[in-house]
Amino acid sequence: MKLFSGSSNSSLSLKISKLLHISVSPVDIHVFPDGEKRVRINDNVVGQQTVVVQSTVPPVDNNYMELFFIVDALKRSGAEFVTAVVPYLGYQRQDHVFRDGEAVSLEVVIKTLERVGLDTIILCDLHSIKIPSVFSIPVTHVSALPIFAEKIKQENWNDKNTILISPDMGGIRRIKILSELLDNMAFAAIEKDRDLQSGWVTAESLGEGKIANQKRAIIVDDMISSGKTIIAAAEVLIKKGIEEIIVFATHPIFSEKAPRLLENANIKKVFVTDTVFVPEDKHFAKLEILSIAAIIAKELETK
Amino acid sequence: MAKNDIVLEEQDLNDYILLTGRSNTKLAQTIADLLQKELCQPISIFADGEIRVKGIPNLRRRHVFIIQPTSPSANDHIMELLFMIDAAKRASATEIIAVIPYFGYSRQDRKEMPRVPISASVVAKMIEHAGADRILTLDIHSEQQEGFVRIPWDNLYGSYSLIPEIKKRSIANMVVASPDKGGVVRATAYAQRLHEAKSIAIVYKERDINVNNQSKSLGMIGNVKGKDILLVDDIIDTAGTIVNAAAHLREHGAKSIRVAATHGIFSRNAIEQINNSIIDEVIITDSVKLSEEVLKSPKITVASVAPLLASAIKKIRTGESLSRDLIL
Repeated sequence: MKLFSGSSNSSLSLKISKLLHISVSPVDIHVFPDGEKRVRINDNVVGQQTVVVQSTVPPVDNNYMELFFIVDALKRSGAEFVTAVVPYLGYQRQDHVFRDGEAVSLEVVIKTLERVGLDTIILCDLHSIKIPSVFSIPVTHVSALPIFAEKIKQENWNDKNTILISPDMGGIRRIKILSELLDNMAFAAIEKDRDLQSGWVTAESLGEGKIANQKRAIIVDDMISSGKTIIAAAEVLIKKGIEEIIVFATHPIFSEKAPRLLENANIKKVFVTDTVFVPEDKHFAKLEILSIAAIIAKELETK
Repeated sequence: MAKNDIVLEEQDLNDYILLTGRSNTKLAQTIADLLQKELCQPISIFADGEIRVKGIPNLRRRHVFIIQPTSPSANDHIMELLFMIDAAKRASATEIIAVIPYFGYSRQDRKEMPRVPISASVVAKMIEHAGADRILTLDIHSEQQEGFVRIPWDNLYGSYSLIPEIKKRSIANMVVASPDKGGVVRATAYAQRLHEAKSIAIVYKERDINVNNQSKSLGMIGNVKGKDILLVDDIIDTAGTIVNAAAHLREHGAKSIRVAATHGIFSRNAIEQINNSIIDEVIITDSVKLSEEVLKSPKITVASVAPLLASAIKKIRTGESLSRDLIL
């Protein structure tokens, strides 16, 4: 098996390769003066099983184009099988027409991946569980929830004093799975409204489940983008008598001023994973990054 | 005709929609003005940089022309184009025509070394797969690219807009020159259409494929001594190619050197290089959005391709021949 890395998350690629006891095969990624990219595979891949690791995070279009070109190059160079590991799948929130005249951007990028010859894909904590059905090729959907459960046990937060919270009704399935992994811990979901025009989030009340007398809440979400959803949820929880808030989210997209918002919010700790590379200037004191590498490496070993 | 027969109204050939992304709204607006049509720009951006298409008008049973050169930043502009095509498809447009005056990645049109992608093919297939019914380009880098897809692909030439501008100058001893061997066909075509041109000259260039955007002129075919040179090319990117070729032509005795090129990318310090070179004038089209710095340069003249593209859009809609009237 040969593993290649796009430029979006080379540190995760390296961790996965070490777990598989192989090295990362070299790819030249050249950016021309006009911004166009040229990729070149620097290893013979004829008849080989190949893997490309690339998170399609911001700058999303650049990272997608790079992935398309790497897959095209591998196929044209005779690779027998190409697996893409896309720990964060860009455009996944545009998975249907919200209002007339919109595009389904996710389908456009998926069709392109299939068209350039991708054989299978490994994805991580998707926003919607319907996304794998948009693909025609086989999809492996892995989750960081077992890592979160492990961490919660380590910190002894799986007690009667703690409740698991989904910041919106869409995350109820995720929170139920985590609850089961933690011997049916108490859980609840917040009802959220999003203004389609402004994108602003307002959280009003607890939609499902209720807080008995817990003092600690663990908010669990698939991603943190602007951080507004998490902040709104934290505000609701404080009003309901919660004293300590911990956040777990798989994908640290961290757009705008998310790190500063989270650092200044009434939140004790923020756990994310390395599906998305977090640059030094977006680190903050409360942040702890867990690794998804072992889960992905295990999937690759069975392929 | 019986009274209660259903009468199908004759199709209104002026009933089509123009969309554009963010890559060259000025060109798109000029085209729209010439066609006396509304122009819709439906692109907005999410906080994380993802592109969103929203607010397009009713497209049901409409013919839709999407004007979007995929010039720098190519990756974003390609995605915008794809999402607009997808949105138009889902909004039940009858026919979707991608009008791509500058086609990004068209220089990566072959495997020039082992284990590289054919990026231009990837892009063309994306456009076809997103749901475009037809592609319209201008001076595509290599016309073989039209074979990357199964949908019709019309390619026009910048010379249609550039030649009238060149003719205004009534140049006496003109020799048309190509800055490399790949441009010989283009140089010949210009020479045939510019009757004042006496012959052509070819500057021979070698590109080191291991070093990008670097080339040097090695030699020359043709006599340029005392001649007024018209150097023609499809793309000016870093301007290295034309500046080197011009120096070479001057060494061989060229009297004056003008450049006519279709696409002005002007990366890095291209404009500074041109301003400091022996080139007398660069005539360029507006297929790519031109920066203030480019427009301010005393050596730059712009010939608009908007009239050409507007005519092409009209002819595609009405089903007239493009090659008869628009290929010059």
